Amino acid sequence: MSAPATTLAAPASESTGFFAALAPGGKRALFALTAVAICLLFAFPVFWLVLTSLRPASGVYYVHRGTEFTLDNFSEVLSQELVLKALFNSFAISTLATVLSLGVTATSGYMLSRFRGPIPNAWFSLIYVFRCVPYVAWVLPLYFVTQQLRIFDTYWGLLLPHVAVHICFFSWIMKGFFDGIDPSMEYAAMIDGCSRWGAFWRVALPSAVPGLTALAILCWLFTWNEFLFALILTAHETPILTVVMAQFVHELGMEWNLMSATAVIALVPALVVTLFGQKYVLRGLRV
Amino acid sequence: MHRVCGSRVATSMNEKTRFMLALIAPAALVLLCFQIVPILTGANASFRDWTLHDPKGTWLGFANYLYVLRDADFIQIVLPNTFGFMAASVACSLVLGLLLALMLNKRFSGRWLVQSFVLLPLMVAPVIAAIMIRWMFNDQFGVVNAILEALGFEPLAWLTQRWTAFFVILLTDIWLWTPWFALILLAGLQSLPPEPFEAAAIDAAGAWRTFRYITLPMLRPVMAVCVVIRSIDAFRTFDTIWTISGGGPARATEVFSIYAYVESFQFLNLARGSAAAVIGAIIIVVFAMLLYRMLNRFVEVSR
Repeated sequence: MSAPATTLAAPASESTGFFAALAPGGKRALFALTAVAICLLFAFPVFWLVLTSLRPASGVYYVHRGTEFTLDNFSEVLSQELVLKALFNSFAISTLATVLSLGVTATSGYMLSRFRGPIPNAWFSLIYVFRCVPYVAWVLPLYFVTQQLRIFDTYWGLLLPHVAVHICFFSWIMKGFFDGIDPSMEYAAMIDGCSRWGAFWRVALPSAVPGLTALAILCWLFTWNEFLFALILTAHETPILTVVMAQFVHELGMEWNLMSATAVIALVPALVVTLFGQKYVLRGLRV
Repeated sequence: MHRVCGSRVATSMNEKTRFMLALIAPAALVLLCFQIVPILTGANASFRDWTLHDPKGTWLGFANYLYVLRDADFIQIVLPNTFGFMAASVACSLVLGLLLALMLNKRFSGRWLVQSFVLLPLMVAPVIAAIMIRWMFNDQFGVVNAILEALGFEPLAWLTQRWTAFFVILLTDIWLWTPWFALILLAGLQSLPPEPFEAAAIDAAGAWRTFRYITLPMLRPVMAVCVVIRSIDAFRTFDTIWTISGGGPARATEVFSIYAYVESFQFLNLARGSAAAVIGAIIIVVFAMLLYRMLNRFVEVSR
């Protein structure tokens, strides 16, 4: 496709001529420079985080002026039982929330895609309106609800609200996936004696697998990085990694080095998921 | 499907309805317990005299709403801030994300590496990114001021002035969300049919014209959905702004979710906070609907 070349040629036609006259490789060099600059801009805060995590506690305030480096922060953080527990909990919650959210929204999105009438319309309006309500309006009442149900500070108490957050957005996206799949195969299956459930489960769902994979990866990343719900809906029994990290600089003094070390550890699973998953995300979102 | 069923008798209508309801039942149950009930509880509180230390629960009608709507800070600072933040953040990350998507749609060596770098912000927890950026812009120890000094400029007290604080918040949000736009738009670009581009190449249409008259119109439906979803989320942004500036200096960078939070948890007036949240929700529901209609109409026109 030739369209993307516009990025660089867009400003004015003279510039193309200028670089062409400069040297045959001029345009390519400019492109490479732009690419490097973009990488640096996007990586800088993360680079700074890694650098801070490698400094001793005394050197943190002048990260840019010292040459002392140490791995002590990592060993100190990993020797804390709280951090290990939080790592495990975050991993379990993200994975379970992904499975549950996808399970619940695949059917809901399928329904929105295949049917017309008052029930799908009502359901769509409902999820659209409730998606717009700001988080601050429901975290506090949510805290009371989880206490009433006696699931505050347990896995369920954090899992189910996370699933609820994803329902609106994912149903919308899933509808798009199923809209892109030709329903005639399902009709054919039903004529051949398949039930409605069978048509959904054996015909529609397998065709939506690329989309489901993409959403699963995004969902896992969002849950892994989520902060506000974890802060309000958990206490000492179920520590969550983002909350533990933030506490290093909020409540237990200003331990930038320890916070950064924990954040770098938290970055590793996310990095693995994204690096291996980006291909599937791109393929899946290509509706 | 419905036409086939519609021609049958009433019992088959019921079977179809049962199937539809069964499909949404699990989602509806979770939504009811963990979103609708809490939100309605909050909305109920907004009509009452309900402070955290003294929940009398006397019915007040719209008194809390009137208080918020008459609050000069809400009208003159909070609402313009919220809309300004939303517009600037969505517009910048859309443009940057589109440029990145166009670039990544090209074949060049090292593309995978650039793409991985661009996706880095998606992997960092927003709250950690916000803490880190606040630290980088610290006026005494931050690296940004160190770089400015090294280049011979005056160091700036970034977070104690309105516009610089706003700039830092905006920068963080754009950094966090540009990859999201880039990812979805890149997927959109890759799914476009190749024929119009081949035709344009044969007709020797320039790169800009190809982009303006082929890529952009075909990408518009994806962009419309992206913009609406992202606008809703930008409108209710809370944790990054709260971590970086806390709405300060004074109340200069306060957006409406921070206004609601401060009313509920710092002034401990839950009812007033809920009323502010409901007002915000109504504004964004209407705004998002109008925005979607408008963008969709553009789509129709451009076809």
